[in-house]
Amino acid sequence: MPREDPEGQDEFRKGLSFAARVGMELVVATLVGAFLGYLLDRFLGTKPWLMVVGVVVGAIAGFLNVYRFVQRMNQSE
Amino acid sequence: MENPLHHFELHPIVHLSLFGLDISINQAVIMMWAVCALVFLFFFLAARGRQLIPTKIQSLAEMAIEFLRTLVLDNMGEKGLKFFPFIATLFFFILFSNLLGLIPGAYTVTSQIMVTGLFAVVVYLISLVVGFSQHGLKFLTILAPSGTPWWLMPLMIPIEIVSQLARPVTLAVRLFANMTAGHTILNVLFGLMLSGGILIGWLPFGFTVPIYILEVFVAFIQAYIFTVLACVYIGDAIKLH
Repeated sequence: MPREDPEGQDEFRKGLSFAARVGMELVVATLVGAFLGYLLDRFLGTKPWLMVVGVVVGAIAGFLNVYRFVQRMNQSE
Repeated sequence: MENPLHHFELHPIVHLSLFGLDISINQAVIMMWAVCALVFLFFFLAARGRQLIPTKIQSLAEMAIEFLRTLVLDNMGEKGLKFFPFIATLFFFILFSNLLGLIPGAYTVTSQIMVTGLFAVVVYLISLVVGFSQHGLKFLTILAPSGTPWWLMPLMIPIEIVSQLARPVTLAVRLFANMTAGHTILNVLFGLMLSGGILIGWLPFGFTVPIYILEVFVAFIQAYIFTVLACVYIGDAIKLH
């Protein structure tokens, strides 16, 4: 909340939102990928394979999200 | 020792049902009413005088509103201002429920994944509706980032689909997990204090104080992050690259 020194506070807020976002982004993207793969597996009857692909795709998506987020942060600085 | 997750359970106080749906009134419903009433009261008091030289509560409200306005402008641009009421409501509701939940004995509404999940899904649906209504089918190009060579498309599109679908999930899980974790830690520490007795019990009791302060801080930060991400997601749909 409001403080006297807006510059330092801004940095602080950015750092915090960074810390709170990045970990969650990686984990959840992987899980969502795995879950989608699992659903597709059940539909198509290709058990474990699409789930394996889903985990990999999800992990890549998580890294991509984090990468974009970091880029956006660097741009705004 | 009792189960540290016990106080997250909901028990109906008044049993109600509507067309076979269970709409019983439980602690969470009452807390939501309290949150709505408090937010309303806060802004009623703040906007009552509308003096040129603001009272304390008025300047607090003005500062918060100004802060949210720059947030919306930064992430969504001029067009985003029509979402300002929604974003501000979201922020104040989450902030007040986080803070009210810290009062001993009160229930934290945001520690229910149903609540945070509903917020996240609504935010995501709004971003989809805005995207499709502004850009039509061109909005689907959000799945293919510009500058991708064509031979990478079969790989990039599933990745983008996953990263899009992960958005509402991260939004919901982050708020829910932070609130639940904080309250569980406090509960475990208090449990340790009770079972430790007078000899060693003061140690976990001492730890609850900094953790509690941290929780107050987390309440602000999580409300802020949820709001920022809602702005970013809707802003992405408005701008499209």
